[in-house]
Amino acid sequence: MHGHYSDPPLLVLASLSNGPKHGHAMIEDIALLCGTRLGPGTLYGAITRLEEQGMIEALPADDRRHPYRITPDGLELLRARLSVLNRFARAGMKRLESL
Amino acid sequence: MTPRLVRVLLCLYPRWWRQRYGEEFKQLLAESTGICEVADVFRSALYERARSWVISKGSQCSFRTVATRTSAFLPIAMSLTALAAVAFHVVIYGSAREPDEGAVAHIWQILMAGQMPILMFFGLKWVPRAPRQALPVLAAQAGAALASMAPVFFLGL
Repeated sequence: MHGHYSDPPLLVLASLSNGPKHGHAMIEDIALLCGTRLGPGTLYGAITRLEEQGMIEALPADDRRHPYRITPDGLELLRARLSVLNRFARAGMKRLESL
Repeated sequence: MTPRLVRVLLCLYPRWWRQRYGEEFKQLLAESTGICEVADVFRSALYERARSWVISKGSQCSFRTVATRTSAFLPIAMSLTALAAVAFHVVIYGSAREPDEGAVAHIWQILMAGQMPILMFFGLKWVPRAPRQALPVLAAQAGAALASMAPVFFLGL
């Protein structure tokens, strides 16, 4: 767990922020992005919730696999969550530097 | 994963989920290997099934359906009867504390203690199934119980 970040919906949104992807591509992209390898069940659990909330949407199937795309609401949520994380990370690093 | 294992794992998910995500999930599972992935899918499937069950039960219940269950209104009726008994005692005999517990005190105790198992039954049965409908009923039950306890404590009966 050291150094790994695990918030599957946020990871999915971050992965889709640079273009539509299907499930397998998302797993690989997230592993590259932060070193966390999501299991298939966890990934599709996050996809299910995000699609229900209108944060992502499925594109027409490509070889039986639906690529997913982030929606404007999803982008807004991603920006908000990342800015909170950014503030948190900066404040945490500042505290560590003062040790 | 073998096609057979993929089919078994997919069957663990609720039908609506299989219809929506089944085909693409099957492909993803076919490319996955390892016991960790199997455990992850198993856990996720159980979660989806439990969530579907809770949502379907909840959506079938209107507030009226929940509020008209015997276990919903009986504790409220018992509390209000206990409150009426206390009010009757205060009106007839005044609020002075008596050395011996009379019939009214016993009726109050029986009504308040008797509603506890009914309250527990209601909470255990309806809160997981329809929390949005059951919680206001629980609040009303708690409010009625507190209302019948208030004069006993404030008047020192």
